[in-house]
Amino acid sequence: MSYIAGVDIGNSTTEVCVGEVTDRGNVTFLTSASCPTTGTKGTIENVYSVKNALKLAMSRIGRETSDIDLVRLNEAAPVIGDTAMETLTETVITDSSMIGHNPSTPAGAGQAVGEILLIENISRAVSGTAYILAASSEHSYEEVAAVVNQHNEIDIVGIILQADEAVLVENRIHKEIPIIDEVRRIDRLPDGVPAAIEVALPGQTIRMLSNPYGIATLLGLTADETRTITPIAKSLIGKRSAVVLKTPGGNIHENVLPAGEIYFYGDKNVTISLDEGAEKIMAAAEDAGDIRDISGQPDTNVGNMLSRIRTGMSELDKSDEADIRITDILAVDTLAPVLISGALAGETCLEKAVGIAAMVKTQKLPMQEIASRLVTELGTDVKVAGVEAVMASLGALTTPGTKLPLAILDMGGGSTDAAIIDENGNVNLTHQAGAGELVSMLIQTELGLSDRHIAEEIKKYPLAKVESLFHMRMENGQMTFVDESIDPRFFGRVVLLTENGLIRIEEEIPMEKIVQVRREAKRKVFVTNAFRALKKVAPDHNLRNISTVVLVGGSAEDFEIPEMLMEAFTDYRIVCGRGNIRGTEGPRNAVATGLVLSYIGEMEG
Amino acid sequence: MIIKRPSIFIYTHEADPAVLKEVCAGIEEEGVFYDTTEMPDECMEKLAYKAARDSMLGSGVGIFGTAVCLKMRGLEKGRNIESYLTPSRAQCRNIGANSARAIKKLPFKEEYRS
Repeated sequence: MSYIAGVDIGNSTTEVCVGEVTDRGNVTFLTSASCPTTGTKGTIENVYSVKNALKLAMSRIGRETSDIDLVRLNEAAPVIGDTAMETLTETVITDSSMIGHNPSTPAGAGQAVGEILLIENISRAVSGTAYILAASSEHSYEEVAAVVNQHNEIDIVGIILQADEAVLVENRIHKEIPIIDEVRRIDRLPDGVPAAIEVALPGQTIRMLSNPYGIATLLGLTADETRTITPIAKSLIGKRSAVVLKTPGGNIHENVLPAGEIYFYGDKNVTISLDEGAEKIMAAAEDAGDIRDISGQPDTNVGNMLSRIRTGMSELDKSDEADIRITDILAVDTLAPVLISGALAGETCLEKAVGIAAMVKTQKLPMQEIASRLVTELGTDVKVAGVEAVMASLGALTTPGTKLPLAILDMGGGSTDAAIIDENGNVNLTHQAGAGELVSMLIQTELGLSDRHIAEEIKKYPLAKVESLFHMRMENGQMTFVDESIDPRFFGRVVLLTENGLIRIEEEIPMEKIVQVRREAKRKVFVTNAFRALKKVAPDHNLRNISTVVLVGGSAEDFEIPEMLMEAFTDYRIVCGRGNIRGTEGPRNAVATGLVLSYIGEMEG
Repeated sequence: MIIKRPSIFIYTHEADPAVLKEVCAGIEEEGVFYDTTEMPDECMEKLAYKAARDSMLGSGVGIFGTAVCLKMRGLEKGRNIESYLTPSRAQCRNIGANSARAIKKLPFKEEYRS
């Protein structure tokens, strides 16, 4: 009788399981565990996560790692996924020429045109000219209101404030004019320049300043000037208040960044420019047929990105005969809110961008090195055994209700892999670029989140909005009441429901928008990739020749991806569902389980 | 019958005028009504608790001297949304704004940005 451990080192997670094997070849699974992979998959740094996971698993049955008789490592597929994002357009403001933001409480409504007048220079004002008064936060609302009321002879048509005091000023002045507040960089407003301001009616967004002809009407622009001002109008769409300045040299332009070309070397060599968009890029990839390698135009963003991935891989395989090639990419169109350079109130503009996941292949990962390091550190036998996809299939077969022939779709963090095993044990497999990490990146960029971590969490957990201190509304509309009052820090916010309590989303983004972006990102990556991958391995490349698909891997654990795929596959009459390894583990641990099971096969053989 | 407009209640006891003024300004900027009443209680928490209980909107501020406290109806004793013993001007404004934001179901402001 002996303890056998199966260890699966993945792009983002390391999983282990331990089984007790009797001399007669019966196996009882005792425990399993998983922890984040340390370092890049296939490097010596992985040893730490392997040790950790084994320790965790053994501690669950009250034993030490030294009790393990044999560790079986997966022969990890020598592919690594990486992701990158390229913005294709960029908006630049030269000479402050606009402000467009969403202060929570602007005052008044309508639009006004006048010359900017700093409150300090009120004495310079003459009657007969329309002015827009600008006051920094050093001037209190009472002061501003007093100045406006005192200088009745001056035609003040609008006010711009730095402090959040628009309503306070409005309630104290004798005229009804639009007032914009919370303009952070008010010091950059040039004195004496013609400007137009607009505050939208409650519940609406601005109409004049988000329309090029509206701006032309208000500021009296020529046809040529109207053309140059169009990007301003575009970036003001959806705002509740805005200021547009007519600075002589001031301008705003939309640059199209040189994005570079991608070269596919396959059955056919194909070249495509990155700014053609994701659809064209993917069509080009298909055109190229069996892809041997992919590279980018030197000294462009995409070229640098692809060569960076390649360099990263060459550090793993330092042998001379290392043959490192990028064999697949997945491109996804996206929009990224980018901070406009030169903006006065932290405005952003939605820029066109392409997200790319690439797949690098080498001959073999240095698994043997990891194995020998583990031997010295754990003092047990370690064996590199079995091809990953075969092990995963073996593990997936322990799902109740499955039989051969069987297709598995392994959706991990770095790659989406598919394999088909027929009754005779023949395996056909493929690795596709793009999986969980690309989804996180898309969520991060589309929502304009500051860090990747919160994007990961958004991917994993459902949302809710805390509507009072005693109840919240789930993203599906359901209400949940709590006994003890919710921490006020969460009040009115969108939160994530995790197993360890609530996580607050700092950015003020409506829940519906986050849900939409999250679902769209998952669909763009996983549904696209599932079809791509299964088509490649299916007999005759026809999906109808597949009858059962078992979803395994970390992303199969997701709360909505399996349902999305089930829906997508209904047309093909494929039985598709989340795997349940050994009937208990859910979609995780397939490879580790397969490694232990294959040991018995070897014993018998 | 007395008909009252829905408002945030501010219960005070010998309130510092500067504190009261900033709290009111905070509420006014958010566009919500408020009512101020002098009460005999000498505890900011008690004042706030009663104000929140009595307010139709369920949001109340208690001011005792300079000490200021924001509560919402239903909140357990000893748990305040926000409270200060000797607040700065910005903190007073913040409490006012947050008492209104509690009703509007908007996230609380954590610091007043001027």
